[in-house]
Amino acid sequence: MRLEKCWFCSSTIYPGHGIQFVRNDAKIFRFCRSKCHKNFKMKRNPRKVKWTKVYRRLHGKDMTQDTTFEFERKRNRPERYDRNLTENTLKAIKTIDKVRFRREETHHKNRMKCKIAKERKEARKELDQQIHMLVAPGAKDIHLSPAKVTVKVQHESTNENRIEE
Amino acid sequence: MRKVKFTQTNFHEKLSTIIEEFPRLDDIHPFYGDLLHVLYNKDHYKLALGQINTARNLISKIAKDYVKLLKYGDSLYRCKALKVAALGRMCTVTKRIGPSLAYLDQIRQHMARLPSIDPNTRTILICGYPNVGKSSFINKITRADVDVQPYAFTTKSLFVGHTDYKYLRYQVIDTPGILDRPFEDRNIIEMCSITALAHLRAAVLFFLDISGSCGYTIAQQSALFHSIKSLFMNKPLIIVCNKTDLQSLEGISEDDKNLVEEMKSEAMKTLIGQGGEPREGAEVLLTMSTLTEQGVIAVKNAACERLLDQRVEIKMKSKKINDCLNRFHVAVPKPRDQKERPPCIPQAVLEAKAKEAEKEKKRLEKDIEEENGGAGVYSASLKKHYLLAHDEWKEDNMPEILDGHNVYDFVDPDILQRLEELEKEEGLLQDQEDDEVEMDVEDLTPQQQKELAEIRKKKSLLIREHRIKKSTAESRPIVPRKFDKDKRFTSERMGRQLSSLGLDPSKAIERVRSKSRGRKRDRSTDHDMDVDNDGSNKKMRARSLSRSRSRPPTNELVPGEGFKDSAQKIKAFKLGKKSVQKRNKDAKKGVDDDHDLRRGWPVMTEVWMNVGGIKKIRVYDFESYFLFGRFHVCFILVSCYTFLNLWIFSDNYEMIFGFISQSSGVLSFSCLLFFLVKFELHKYESHFKLQARLQPNMKWALQNRRKT
Repeated sequence: MRLEKCWFCSSTIYPGHGIQFVRNDAKIFRFCRSKCHKNFKMKRNPRKVKWTKVYRRLHGKDMTQDTTFEFERKRNRPERYDRNLTENTLKAIKTIDKVRFRREETHHKNRMKCKIAKERKEARKELDQQIHMLVAPGAKDIHLSPAKVTVKVQHESTNENRIEE
Repeated sequence: MRKVKFTQTNFHEKLSTIIEEFPRLDDIHPFYGDLLHVLYNKDHYKLALGQINTARNLISKIAKDYVKLLKYGDSLYRCKALKVAALGRMCTVTKRIGPSLAYLDQIRQHMARLPSIDPNTRTILICGYPNVGKSSFINKITRADVDVQPYAFTTKSLFVGHTDYKYLRYQVIDTPGILDRPFEDRNIIEMCSITALAHLRAAVLFFLDISGSCGYTIAQQSALFHSIKSLFMNKPLIIVCNKTDLQSLEGISEDDKNLVEEMKSEAMKTLIGQGGEPREGAEVLLTMSTLTEQGVIAVKNAACERLLDQRVEIKMKSKKINDCLNRFHVAVPKPRDQKERPPCIPQAVLEAKAKEAEKEKKRLEKDIEEENGGAGVYSASLKKHYLLAHDEWKEDNMPEILDGHNVYDFVDPDILQRLEELEKEEGLLQDQEDDEVEMDVEDLTPQQQKELAEIRKKKSLLIREHRIKKSTAESRPIVPRKFDKDKRFTSERMGRQLSSLGLDPSKAIERVRSKSRGRKRDRSTDHDMDVDNDGSNKKMRARSLSRSRSRPPTNELVPGEGFKDSAQKIKAFKLGKKSVQKRNKDAKKGVDDDHDLRRGWPVMTEVWMNVGGIKKIRVYDFESYFLFGRFHVCFILVSCYTFLNLWIFSDNYEMIFGFISQSSGVLSFSCLLFFLVKFELHKYESHFKLQARLQPNMKWALQNRRKT
């Protein structure tokens, strides 16, 4: 039993899922679900379809080259069973997964760094330009970013206000 | 003429093929000839073939004659008649030979199923009484699958199997059992075996049932033997005692033993007759049991050996051997000295040979399976013979999949080492990360962030309000300020908002107040009348508010309002809104917004038509006029019809049902028409209107006008 990769979106195909298509030149295309299959039938190029892994790798959204990817390689020669080796392999898989995940996170963070800078700049600009929603431009005795806005209306008690109170 | 010829040739062809295909009994091997005779009766067979031959000749003659006649035929009709006659005669001839054709067909089918026995190759023949075990023997040594059953004459015809001995192929022929009867009384089945015995040059295995479980005693069997021993001339004969598991050869009675000895001596005679020297211990009498498979192979080997010897002897004696003899030459190296040079056999082989003799039968997997409950119960452990470093690993179940990865893809002898390298790398990367955390643009302080959040909240509030206003724009009434229920346009509110922005609102409020005129009542108050009272006090009282400004949510039940529960309150509000909605919409309607598109019904509108520029007449809208006028008439008609019918057929229920269906049909049809008219006629509206405008002359218009 083997977990295969979908030809279109590169997600894993578990047993019992998906469709395999064998072309006349004996090339096998495996699809994880009908969405990928239908896209393939429409002759769409996965490199141009935004949600596929191929696209993401190609356009630098996801990590492409990494040493963690070299651990996973399809080996055609079967190895003789060795219990210790298998144990170590199973443990290694878990650690490799962790490492890869961490690295992907850093990659993502680095990618998003520019966005954070842009966001901050925009926030600053908004604060500067739209401050009139909080404080009128001609107001006096107001600190630019005070905790509370002091209101001067109280000392101007008119007849109407007195009655209200 | 051609047609006649053509038919003739067809017949000729077909019949010729039949005749040729069937073997002529004289041309084939006497064994087959006799077999066919036994099975099908030679005379009958020949007769049938002869009939077909005559038929063929007859047809040819007919054809010849008629062709001649046709040549001199004068009219077309005459020729056609001749042709018909010719064909007819040919057909009658064929009809007459019908039964023999059927017989030949049967023969053909049966012949096709005869076993293919080569009379010239090495053959072993098995004969004996019925039920002695001939078929089981042949099943054991060859791959033939002959029926083995407890009743006699299970085998009804000859069966052939093939077996190998010393790299040569032997035919083994199983015969039906022979009973001890005079020759003439024998039936077809027995005759088959007799024929085989007579004609085939084969080694004969005469089967003897020692135990007598076939139903015949040894005496009977030996009697048979003696009666057919003439057939065993010149054939290597072996007497086989079968079913020794039930009764061994030593255990039988004296008489039987004597009989057996007699048979054996007969068999020895054939051995001598063969020309070979009688060797001591030569196998003419063998025992075996097909059930336990004891001695079966020995029998087979003995028979094959004897046959081979015989054939070789004969070949040696014949002249043909001389041609080949000079081709054989055994090269022997010339001895150069007296030293003995025996063949060199390695010690291991000698030891293995010695061991083989004392080796017991190996315990096969099949035996293990049978021990543990048979085929369906026991499943062999395929991992038993694995070659692993430790034996306890044999039963391990290795997982193939882990966390969405194939484990086999990761298995690597150096995986630990690589993992270490990876960890090191990871550590380095982590350190690097911690170093570079700087950013160009600084983050806002928490206070600034709070302000920003407030700004954004206010903005979103504005946007939301605007969106609500936009969506309700159609049905929202434009209410003048004095009916400001929510008190959104008061000066206090303005004051509050301005002060929250940090401005001083007093001046603004003053200005606003000074501009507003207040209520007329208050305005027209005569200052002279109430001198004592403070004008402002009155104003104040007039403007006094008894209720607090803060209100509970609209859907909540407030005790003083007079509602039973919140649901009723909600409903009341809804009804109120609904009643106002239409008028709000109407307030915004223009001249062309007259049509109520939602309802779909045509509106009975009055259109003032300008006739001749002077007078205006009132003409109803085309569509509505047509529909309403006519539709009403239709409806009345239909209802009368239904009523009448119901009245007439009120006593007869079946008719009522029939009629109801009919009427519903009519109604549906009329509805169809109606809708058709409604939806389709508007296409032609403009056309008709134009016509209406063009058609009427003044007179008509004046006549039909209504006094305005």
